[in-house]
Amino acid sequence: MTWSSRNRRYGEWATENVAPYRHPDRNVAVGAVFRVTGLLESRRLLTLILFAAFAWSLSGVDWLGPMVHTGGPQALLRFIQALFPPELSPAFLKLTLVASFQTLAYSVASITVAVLIAVPMGLLASGAATRSWTTGLPVAVVSRFLLGAIRSVHELVWAVLFVYALGLSSATAVLALALPYAGILGRIYADLLNDVPEEPLRALRSSGASPFQVFLFGRLPMAFPDMLSYSFYRFECAIRSAAILGFVGIPGLGYEIQLSLHDILFDQVWTLLMAMVVMVVAVDLWSTRVRRSLVS
Amino acid sequence: MSFARWSMYGFFGLVVLSWGYIFGWTDSGVGDLLSGDSWSNSGRFLRQLSGQESKAVPAFARADRWLETARLAYDTLVMSVLAIGLTGLATFPTFVFGARNVSSGELGGAPSKSGIVLFYTVRLTFAVTRAVPELVWAMVIVFFLSPGVVPGAVALALHNYGVLGKLSSEVVENLDPGPARALRASGAGSLQMLLYAVLPQALPSFLTYLLYRWEVIIRTTVVVGFVAAGGLGREFRLSISLFHYTDVALIIAWYLILVVAVDLASAGLRRLVSGE
Repeated sequence: MTWSSRNRRYGEWATENVAPYRHPDRNVAVGAVFRVTGLLESRRLLTLILFAAFAWSLSGVDWLGPMVHTGGPQALLRFIQALFPPELSPAFLKLTLVASFQTLAYSVASITVAVLIAVPMGLLASGAATRSWTTGLPVAVVSRFLLGAIRSVHELVWAVLFVYALGLSSATAVLALALPYAGILGRIYADLLNDVPEEPLRALRSSGASPFQVFLFGRLPMAFPDMLSYSFYRFECAIRSAAILGFVGIPGLGYEIQLSLHDILFDQVWTLLMAMVVMVVAVDLWSTRVRRSLVS
Repeated sequence: MSFARWSMYGFFGLVVLSWGYIFGWTDSGVGDLLSGDSWSNSGRFLRQLSGQESKAVPAFARADRWLETARLAYDTLVMSVLAIGLTGLATFPTFVFGARNVSSGELGGAPSKSGIVLFYTVRLTFAVTRAVPELVWAMVIVFFLSPGVVPGAVALALHNYGVLGKLSSEVVENLDPGPARALRASGAGSLQMLLYAVLPQALPSFLTYLLYRWEVIIRTTVVVGFVAAGGLGREFRLSISLFHYTDVALIIAWYLILVVAVDLASAGLRRLVSGE
């Protein structure tokens, strides 16, 4: 079925229009009304729900209160003016470069920890490593629940909690970032390991391979390219997440942006934002090329 | 050596460099993490969250506090829906122009210079809005907009505009070009081609991605609330800096309820996308 199945709908309308209300059962008549208006067509229903939700959210906004600061428009104007040109002094460019490296370092370190947690957890969650259902299934359910729990909480919320529980240090920041990423990666790894085609595995099994050997020489090599390419995609997200760790005091681009905003130095903010964009786009291009070379 | 293998070695190099930096130049804190001190600290923090360190009735054991926090949770939910609505409304009319095959005339018809300019403009906008995290957008936006639900939603929408736009443009780029070319061959104009060949194929993925982004957005509303002063996020930050730990626990409970509810709602709505 396509979105523009207009002919089908008109046809339906024509038949339903013959005698919807003559039917003794009211529910059938109601159903006919729904069909005539197309409300029960699932995508139409979805569109309706989405627009209704949006309208509801608009009604939740306090429209009577002030929406814009008294100095808001001027501030916006100054923010845009600061782009021409941004702060380009050598000293500040050097600072931007150092901050970019710091953000990169935290993101890379976090991804490594995330992968180290996600690989064993994903393996357990896929239920592919054990022979019997009696042990495999509970282990899979429990590890899927754990993965779901750690990715429910945003990395910055983890970071704030860790600062209070363990104190601020690089290790706690890396751990805070690594936990939700491990939750996401672990789930994706588990799904990818489950989704490999069955025939090669059956061939391995029939030639006498143990469940572990089937995993090591069957499932893992088949799922590995997708696992690698998804991890690279997450690396791009990790750069942004590492930047916002500046909010709890971890050095990097986010921290510098916060400082410059405090001093209302918008030209510096632009320079830092550009560094952010360059880094994310560079990693995005890299990961796209990796994915392409893995697919072909 | 394949590009993927070269990239893996390159990444290992980055790993060594990054850990070298963290151990060599920062207060790594790994030693503290392994010491008994920090674990007794975190044990105390957990007892504080669960209200065992104070004699007062913990916030999460009081019905009135649950109701008060429910209002904040409501605001947070409103923020997330407003954010995803703005994202959808902004992305829908633009994402098609961010697709290379549409602008280059690969789907039939002559390539136009304005189409190519539009393609690069749209893609650059996607890249810039996507590269800047929601929290940073929020920090910038509170300079212009009064604190509340709206600046948080706008910040979330800005970032997700870039994410959803890029994803949806790539969906269009990977479409089956057959229907579009067939329409072109039978004399359809550009608008007709978009309406009857491109959008019908791309919209299901667009909606699926939109609903997936809602799941991400609900997790981030709290973080944006830290600075944009809306809903649970502001209260979380206030309570934790005032050491009202049982309130923090209550807020986290509401946060998790929202996350689970939105995950379920999104999964249900995504089934509507796939039809029947």
